[in-house]
Amino acid sequence: MAERPEDLNLPNAVVTRIIKDAIPENVNISKEARLAISKAASVFVLYATSCSNNFAVKSKRKTINAQDVINAMEDMEFEQFMEPLKKCLEGTQN
Amino acid sequence: MAERDENKVQSVLPLSRIRTIMKSSPDTSSISNEALFLTGKATELFVQNLARVSMESSTDKVNVGYTDLANVVNSDENLQFLQDIIPKKIKAREYLESLKKSEEEEELST
Repeated sequence: MAERPEDLNLPNAVVTRIIKDAIPENVNISKEARLAISKAASVFVLYATSCSNNFAVKSKRKTINAQDVINAMEDMEFEQFMEPLKKCLEGTQN
Repeated sequence: MAERDENKVQSVLPLSRIRTIMKSSPDTSSISNEALFLTGKATELFVQNLARVSMESSTDKVNVGYTDLANVVNSDENLQFLQDIIPKKIKAREYLESLKKSEEEEELST
């Protein structure tokens, strides 16, 4: 297997923590499932970036901004993320 | 309440890694800091959501495995983009049987 100079994987420990915080304490998720979720998360970033970039290009901008990311969520059928993301953004602006 | 606000403003996933992945996407020029932060947060939400829906669709409520994940990826519309990387597994025997079947069908039609 060739060595990739860029690691496109997210740290497993962090992904595991996010998963554990989302489910009840007595529930176990197999290592295989956790690794697959981690891969899925990387693919999600790529997909979100591509969608966000489309919005930036449509507005004739070269820089992807916060609104592009929020709009991308709607495009990707993750509308339920839009409000929490808007709240996060407001949190950083205070 | 204060703790929840902390969660909203801090990133759990390393933003340097998120940026690396984002930059590997073709035609991406620049990414604002806010866009980087929100993409990280969205990814957190996505991981939580994926774990939760896998658990909810599992018949074994205490143990969630790869099959549960592959099932939701196959059934939920907004997870279709994951079908190639989280495919359903089939046994080698089933695969060979379906191969044999399609070969036989081809022979019949020629």
